[in-house]
Amino acid sequence: MQTKSRFDRNSPEIKAYLNELAHQFVREGIMVAFPTCLPGMTTPITHDESHITALDINSEGHVYGGTSGRQAHLFGAAFHGLTGIVLDAGAVPGSTTTEAICCGTSRVIAFVNGPQGGRAVAMPHLDLAEDWIQEWGLEEPVLKDLGECVPGEPVVHAISAPSGKTVAGVTTRHLFTVDVESGVITVVGEAPGRGHLAMGHAGVFGQDEGTQLWHFDVASGHIRRAAVHLPDGEWAGPLRWARDRHSGLLFTADAAGRLFSFDENKGFRALGRAHLAPVGPMAVVPDGRLFGFCGDEMANLFSCDTVSGSFTNLGVAASILEQRRYGYQFGDAVTGPDGEIVFGEDDNGGHLWLYFPKIKGAISTPLTP
Amino acid sequence: MSSRPEIDRRTFMKVGGGVLAAGLAPSLGAEARALGGTPYAVKWYPFTGHPDSDTCWSLSVGPDGRIYAAACAESLPGGVVKPVRYNEQRDDLDYLFDLAEKVDDPGDSGRASQCKIHYSFAPSMHDGVLYMATHLSGPPIDLPVYSPWYSWHDTKRCFRGSALLAFDTRTDRVLWWDTLIPKEGCRCLLHDEERGLLYAMSYPRDHFIIYDLRSRKRRDVGRISSINPQALFLDKRHRVWTSSDYGRLVRYTPETDRLEISPGLLAHDLNYQTGWHSVFYDVAPSPDGECVYASTWCPNPRLMRIWPNEGEWPRVEDLGPATQLRDTSFPIDMYRDHCGGLTFGGDGNLYYVASRWRDSKYNPTPESRKQNEGVVWRLDPQTLKREEVARLEHPTGMAHYVSRGAVDHNGDLFFGHVGNHPSGIFKVSMPADRKRRNAHLPIRMWG
Repeated sequence: MQTKSRFDRNSPEIKAYLNELAHQFVREGIMVAFPTCLPGMTTPITHDESHITALDINSEGHVYGGTSGRQAHLFGAAFHGLTGIVLDAGAVPGSTTTEAICCGTSRVIAFVNGPQGGRAVAMPHLDLAEDWIQEWGLEEPVLKDLGECVPGEPVVHAISAPSGKTVAGVTTRHLFTVDVESGVITVVGEAPGRGHLAMGHAGVFGQDEGTQLWHFDVASGHIRRAAVHLPDGEWAGPLRWARDRHSGLLFTADAAGRLFSFDENKGFRALGRAHLAPVGPMAVVPDGRLFGFCGDEMANLFSCDTVSGSFTNLGVAASILEQRRYGYQFGDAVTGPDGEIVFGEDDNGGHLWLYFPKIKGAISTPLTP
Repeated sequence: MSSRPEIDRRTFMKVGGGVLAAGLAPSLGAEARALGGTPYAVKWYPFTGHPDSDTCWSLSVGPDGRIYAAACAESLPGGVVKPVRYNEQRDDLDYLFDLAEKVDDPGDSGRASQCKIHYSFAPSMHDGVLYMATHLSGPPIDLPVYSPWYSWHDTKRCFRGSALLAFDTRTDRVLWWDTLIPKEGCRCLLHDEERGLLYAMSYPRDHFIIYDLRSRKRRDVGRISSINPQALFLDKRHRVWTSSDYGRLVRYTPETDRLEISPGLLAHDLNYQTGWHSVFYDVAPSPDGECVYASTWCPNPRLMRIWPNEGEWPRVEDLGPATQLRDTSFPIDMYRDHCGGLTFGGDGNLYYVASRWRDSKYNPTPESRKQNEGVVWRLDPQTLKREEVARLEHPTGMAHYVSRGAVDHNGDLFFGHVGNHPSGIFKVSMPADRKRRNAHLPIRMWG
C-alpha cells in the first residue's frame, strides 16, 4: 500500500520545523577544522591515530595535545600571528591513548596508556612562533619517557598546578605528582581515579567514591578524601570540568546533562540542563559563557549563560573554512587567548576545531546599508 | 552562458515530477527511440508499478544474470522502495515486493522511511541470493523533509537503520533481514563471497561497516571522512577500497583490520581542483580482475583506471574528463555534470553514461536538442579510445543522470536513471556481434 503524506506545509509546526532544519549546523559563531599538519606542506597524523583526546594551552597561547588510536601522538599547535600549524611531535612508543596533556613552565608532560602501562612522557615546548608563511627552521622535538606513573595502573587524568612546576595525576587507584623540571614521579597516596580532574584555587578535585570529591592540596601534598559532596544528580559517569580563568569558577555536569557551577567557598549551584547527555568537553570564554558538546555519536554544540543558567542548542559542528568537514565527536577543549575555543576532535582523521563564538549581544539580522 | 540558472537537486526532482503531474500515462514509457534493429537501440522502462518513485539509485545484475533495480521514492513523505526485475519474456518490469513491509518498518511509521536502495545490491553466486541494503533520506510521513543530523537523537523520527535483506532469486523469497547500520543509511554495499562478509559505507557519519553473514554481526571500523564515497571495490587479496574527501584511496586490509589512506591523489582537474571531492562515484571491475575503472563524484567527473594488485599503493591512470568543458568560475550543478553507469559489455569494452548539456560557449547545440543529454560511451581498454554509441532518450523527461549500469546474461546494457516521476531504467540493446551469453560474468560484487 502506498503511503501518502500527512501534514500541512503551511502549518506553524511545519514552518518551525523547516526553520530548525535550516539552522541545524553551528547556529552561532564560526567553526574552523584545522588538520593536524602544516596544510599543504606536511601530512596529517595518520587517520586511525588521530583521535584528539587531550588538550592544554600554555601561557603563550600555544595549544598542546595528544591523540588516541593505533598509536598515540603528541603535538603542538598555534593559530596566531604567522603560525597556523599543528606540529606532530611523533608517536609515543607502546601507547594507544592520551589521557591528559599538562603544560608546565619548562615543558609539557603527557600521560598515555598502552601495553606498556600508564606513563608520563615529557615533550619540550615547540618553537611554533616561526614565519610559517615564508620560511621556517626548527629541530625535531625529542620525546622523553618519564616512566610508568603507578605500576600496573592506567592513568585516568592529570592536571597542571598553577605554578607550572608540578602536575597532579590519578590512576585508577592512586594519586601521583610529576615534577615538571626533573620528571620525577611521586605516588602520593590512594585516591580513586574516575573522570577528569579539576584545578581549584589551591588544589585539585577528583571524583571520589559515591557522590563525593576528594581534594589534593598541592603545596602540602595532603589528600582529603570525601572533601566535597556533589549536589543531587546522577553521578555514576566520569566527570568533565571547565574552569573560568577569570572568576576561578568550576563547572561540571551530571550524567543527565545538568550543569553545575562550583565555587570552593560557596559550593555547587545548579544551572540549566543540556538538551542531550552526556556532556562532553566544555570551555568558558572570557565573558563567562560556557560552550561545550553534548550527546553521544553525533554531539551537538551548546552554550550556557552561566549567570542565568540558560542553555542554547547550537547544533552539529561543521567546518566550512580551511577544511569542509562535519564534526561528530570531541575529546577535549581549551580556551584560546582571544576567547576562541579549540576543540579536539575525537574521531578518525581528527582535526583541531577552532570555534569563534558569536559576539555577545550581536543580533543576527540581515545587514542593512 | 547558457547553463545558468542551474538546476539544483530539489528543482531536479520537481521538474521530473512534472511529468507525472502533467498526466502523462505510464504507457508513454514505450520505446522512446524506435530504433528496432538499430545498434544500441534505447528503450525506457518507467516504474509504473510504483508511480511515486522518483529515483533509481541501484541497478545491478543478479546472480541469476537478470537485471534488478530499485524503484526508490525519496521525495514523498513516507515513501518506500520497491525492488524490480526486468522480465525478458514480457519485456517489462516485475515488481518484487514493498521492502518496508518486508522489514516491518512501514512508510507510516512516523520515522524516516525505507525509501531507497543506494548502490547496495550485492550478489551471492553460490546460493543465488541478492543482498540489498536500504538508505535514508525519505521524510517521515508527516514531515516534508528529513535530516539525519537533526533527528539523530529523536527516537520518534530517526531512521531505524539500514535494512539488509537476503533475497533468493531462485525462489523469489526474502530469506531473512537484519538491521545493517542502526540510525544510518547504507550508501554502498560490497560482498566478499569467499569470506562471507558484506562491507558498507554508512551515511551520514561515513563509517566503514563490516557485516559477517555467518554470525550476522556487524562491526563498525570507524569513520573515513565527510563526503560519502559512492562505491567500494574488492581486490584479489580481499582488500576493500574506497576514497576519502580529499581524493585519496582508502584501503581496508582484513589482516591488519585498518583503514589506511593513500599518499597519492585520485584523478582530478589540476587546473583548478585540489582533489577535494574526488570521491568514487562508480567503479567497474575489469573482466580479468586486474584493474578497475572508476568515475568521480565531482564536477567535471574524471575517469580513471586503477591497478590495486600492483605495488604498495595502486597505480592510478587518469583517463581524462568524462564530460565537456565548462565555465569553471561557477560551481556547476552536480545533477547536470555527471558520469555513472560504468559496466563492461560482453565485447570486453567499458560502457558508461556521461551527461552533456547545451552551453553557449562550449557546446552550442540547437534548441531542437534537449538541454541535457545522457550519452552512452564505449571505451576500448586496449586503446583507451572512446566512442559515443547512443543517446538515452526519455519520451518527455530527463535522461542524463545515470546511477548505475549493468549487463544482463543476454549481453544487453541497462542503466538506472534518477530524476523522473516515475523513475525507471533504460535498456540499450547491444549489437548482435557485441553480445555474448553470460556477458555478466565474472559478476561485479558491489553495488
